[in-house]
Amino acid sequence: MHYLLSFRSLTYAQRAARILERAGITGTVSRVPKAASTKGCAYCVIVAARHKERSLSILASAGVAPERVLLRHPDGTLEAGA
Amino acid sequence: MIYLDCAATSFQKPAAVNYAVSEAMRTLSSPGRGGYPSAMAAAELLLDCRLALADLFCVKDPEQVVFTSSATHGLNIALRSLVGPGDPVVISGYEHNAVWRTLHGIGADVRVAASPLFAPEAAVEAFRAKLPGAKAAVCTQVSNVFGYIMPVREIAALCRDADVPLVVDASQGAGAVGLDFDGLGCAFAAMPGHKGLLGPQGTGVLLCRDGKITPLFFGGTGSVSADPAMPDFLPDRLEPGTHNVPGIAGLLEGVKWLRRKTPAAVLAHEKELLGVFSKALEGEKRVKLFLSSDPALQAGVLSVQMNGLDCEEAASRLAERGVAVRAGLHCAPLAHDTAGTLGEGTVRFSFSPFNTYQEVMAAVEAVRKILN
Repeated sequence: MHYLLSFRSLTYAQRAARILERAGITGTVSRVPKAASTKGCAYCVIVAARHKERSLSILASAGVAPERVLLRHPDGTLEAGA
Repeated sequence: MIYLDCAATSFQKPAAVNYAVSEAMRTLSSPGRGGYPSAMAAAELLLDCRLALADLFCVKDPEQVVFTSSATHGLNIALRSLVGPGDPVVISGYEHNAVWRTLHGIGADVRVAASPLFAPEAAVEAFRAKLPGAKAAVCTQVSNVFGYIMPVREIAALCRDADVPLVVDASQGAGAVGLDFDGLGCAFAAMPGHKGLLGPQGTGVLLCRDGKITPLFFGGTGSVSADPAMPDFLPDRLEPGTHNVPGIAGLLEGVKWLRRKTPAAVLAHEKELLGVFSKALEGEKRVKLFLSSDPALQAGVLSVQMNGLDCEEAASRLAERGVAVRAGLHCAPLAHDTAGTLGEGTVRFSFSPFNTYQEVMAAVEAVRKILN
């Protein structure tokens, strides 16, 4: 399973991915699925589920906290606020 | 050609700039519009460039680095965000038309803090006298006509104390004269990408303090698309439409070159060439050099008048001898008015990190020939 950390802009998502990379966590920048984007186009960083808590902690410390956190199940369905 | 018009544009660039532009056109698509590799690679390039610029100019977050098409574009955003019709605005006596005409177009109450050439204490006092009640202030970092390095740090301190937002026009200083954006605490700093930053024409940068800015253009940003209003965050708020990706690719290489070389080394080289040029001509009776007695106050830009020879005629004769310079008012009539050269104009020699001693001496010989 993976978590999608959604950001308000592509620039923020890219910065977040680079911050995580420096901390040894691989995150992939991707577009947020349409069904989960409430305001139109948005970008997210996808991280492995096991890295969720550490990723959020690192990003909060860096002042680049995500707007939303979504759990992506193996079948592709998304669970908000997980 | 001996190119000594670097104050207009840096005609000579690092080879990596040209290559990056070409490669970007071949391999990169539009950032923020898709999730496929060429779009994401373009987005990565933009972030790389923002980070490099943020580092060069001491800006906290890369989101504060906004890409524009020119310094003029950036200044229009800055001034139209801060100033409305009738608002009092203090500007130095050395501003370019990018500031002067924009404020005129807005209908602002422009108060010129005029002061003599190469007299920084007088410039500070002029700002101190004019600042009370001002809605904003504007100061060029370096005069594009005379190379005069303005006391921006001191003027910024005055503006902070008076709670007046300051716009720095870094068009002529960026890439040579250091600019500490966060340290100055100014509201905006605008600069072209194609002068001292060594990028291609059509690129520019606006450094912004925060996101409460009135957009100049409206349109798609690839973010919060369902909202009819522009995003309320940077850089998206000020960057609608497709980015100049090849231009920014070239700009990044120019900035990388600068960071390796360092702006201080570039400035030292340009000052050295200016010193060689002015020393060689100081004995010429028909030549008037607008040279600071304190070298610390002048960047690599020198205005010259040749007694008995119209400045445009002088530039034309120099061009015939393979020396490229700019004559006239340099889009800065206010600076000429302040320095007392509005009637005659000047011939401007401006040096780059790529000019050599031999080129400068050849230009000196060309000046001597057109005078005799």
